[in-house]
Amino acid sequence: MIELQGLTKTYAGKDVVEEVSLRVESGEFGVLIGPSGCGKSTTLRMINRLIPITRGRILLGDEDVTELPPEQLRRRIGYAIQSTGLFPHWTVAENIAVVPGLLKWPKQRIDARIDELLNLFHLDAGEFRHKYPHQLSGGQAQRVGVARALAADPEALLMDEPFGAVDPLTRDVLQNEMLRVHRQTGKTIVFVTHDMDEALKLASRIAILNAGRLVQYDRPIELLTQPADEFVRNFIGKADLGLKLLSRRWVYQYQQSAEILEQPSSFHHDRSSVTHGWEIDDQGRPLCLHGGRLYAEESEQRTRVTHEWSATPDMTMKEALSRMVWFRVMVLPVLDEQERLIGEVAMQGVMGREP
Amino acid sequence: MRAVTLRAPTQGRTWLLVGLSVLLVVLVLFMEALKPLFQFAFPDLQSPLYDRESFLQLTLDHLLLVLVSSVISVSVGVGAGLFVTRRGGREFEPLVSSLAAIGQTFPPAAVLAIVVPLAGFGFVPTIVALTLYGLLPVVQNTIAGLGTVPATTLEAARGTGMSRAQILLRVELPLAMRVIIAGVRVSVIINIGTATIGSTVGAQSLGTPIIAGLVGNNIAYVIQGAVLVGLLAIVTDLFFERLERRFSFGG
Repeated sequence: MIELQGLTKTYAGKDVVEEVSLRVESGEFGVLIGPSGCGKSTTLRMINRLIPITRGRILLGDEDVTELPPEQLRRRIGYAIQSTGLFPHWTVAENIAVVPGLLKWPKQRIDARIDELLNLFHLDAGEFRHKYPHQLSGGQAQRVGVARALAADPEALLMDEPFGAVDPLTRDVLQNEMLRVHRQTGKTIVFVTHDMDEALKLASRIAILNAGRLVQYDRPIELLTQPADEFVRNFIGKADLGLKLLSRRWVYQYQQSAEILEQPSSFHHDRSSVTHGWEIDDQGRPLCLHGGRLYAEESEQRTRVTHEWSATPDMTMKEALSRMVWFRVMVLPVLDEQERLIGEVAMQGVMGREP
Repeated sequence: MRAVTLRAPTQGRTWLLVGLSVLLVVLVLFMEALKPLFQFAFPDLQSPLYDRESFLQLTLDHLLLVLVSSVISVSVGVGAGLFVTRRGGREFEPLVSSLAAIGQTFPPAAVLAIVVPLAGFGFVPTIVALTLYGLLPVVQNTIAGLGTVPATTLEAARGTGMSRAQILLRVELPLAMRVIIAGVRVSVIINIGTATIGSTVGAQSLGTPIIAGLVGNNIAYVIQGAVLVGLLAIVTDLFFERLERRFSFGG
């Protein structure tokens, strides 16, 4: 748990961060967001005192760490930054070993920890241990950067726009990986970004800052549905509010049971009360959809199930909706890990109710 | 510390370094063997081989001059470079840079002319002249080298909880080392050449046969001294080139 109490930073008589108080509960993924110069990065860097605090207090767990020597505090809080900041003259293993080394862990424990972290990020330890940062791709380097921040099993993890410098495709992969790592480690995270989509995707709580002040600190859904003021409303973006909302809804929330056709060849829309049905193979994997189109004249059509045209329970509804629109089909099959049909999501479901 | 550069392209340079080093040692030890050659080339000379001191002694004296002056230059230069890149010393950077520049603007001969009346003849004035002359590249490259360390790397280093001393010793200096060594390389090479003029004020070096040859109109002496100084400079340069490469980390 990290708690900021009345955190203030004054530069040359001007408050750049003003009385920011917020509490990121243990295991929560807190995101600080706001326009450039709103003080989000300054706030983050005050937490591990890379920037000295003018006024205010910081609690880590139940401990007041405001007076702790900065070096000691930093060894207890992981820190990952944009463009990784990996030490170019050290191998991946040496980079990850920095903080455990400073804390004087025994060598075997450090070695075991390096392997554990590389595994956590799906990097082959044998291959990557001895690589130098310049031999890594941007995404790999960023993973190692986060692994380094997690190395000494810190009480919290601070991340300053860590995915700001990678391409959109890699960023998406890294975000998913970050969610998984957060789930697996249960770390308390404070994450700074200026990208609202990134915040909505990652955060369990979002703090919106403007001109050095905390404007709203809420769960993503509340931020979207009950913005505190006009600034928040504008910052979130009115244009695709509906889609943003769906980016915080998951397929499993809208999933309903699917009608399986015993005799697919005899399916006819007009003779049946159901609008559509699924044809499956003997392993339970869906082969194709009969019906399920918007217009009656298309209802005889069959749609082959493909990897692109299907959903998983942990997919966002935004993505599911996007797939429906793209394939012009009113319903998507929901598949489990063995690609068996476990249900469906339908356009009517999205429009019809709150989860 | 492991170097990460590829070995293959440097193979040729390595053999050049080994070959020239062997040639240097052989010439230093067995210059007398070439006496007939010099006799043949300069038949008018009564004494075609410098023999007042052994070439081994002259080379060792020369190396001592270069070593002592370089050690002082590097300690003072790196020290000054570190001082002006720390928090407390940043205001002094222009001052230190111009002082070092002045040191190099003064021709060593002029420094000798000033120092000899103060410190007498021989070793000391030569050391002073060489030290001042070799300071600038070390200071400049130390400042430049520390300046090449990326801000994000420093930020990350602070974020891990390293102390100031740990950041300097484990991150900044290793990353700046290549550029600093390049400065030391220039400084040492300059001093190997410049140490010869120490002989004008009585410091024994490989310049001694050169000066004697110029005074006594003996070209053979000049060649004997100059060839050894030249070879020494080239071998040292190749050595430093290798050393520098040990400190390049990707990119």
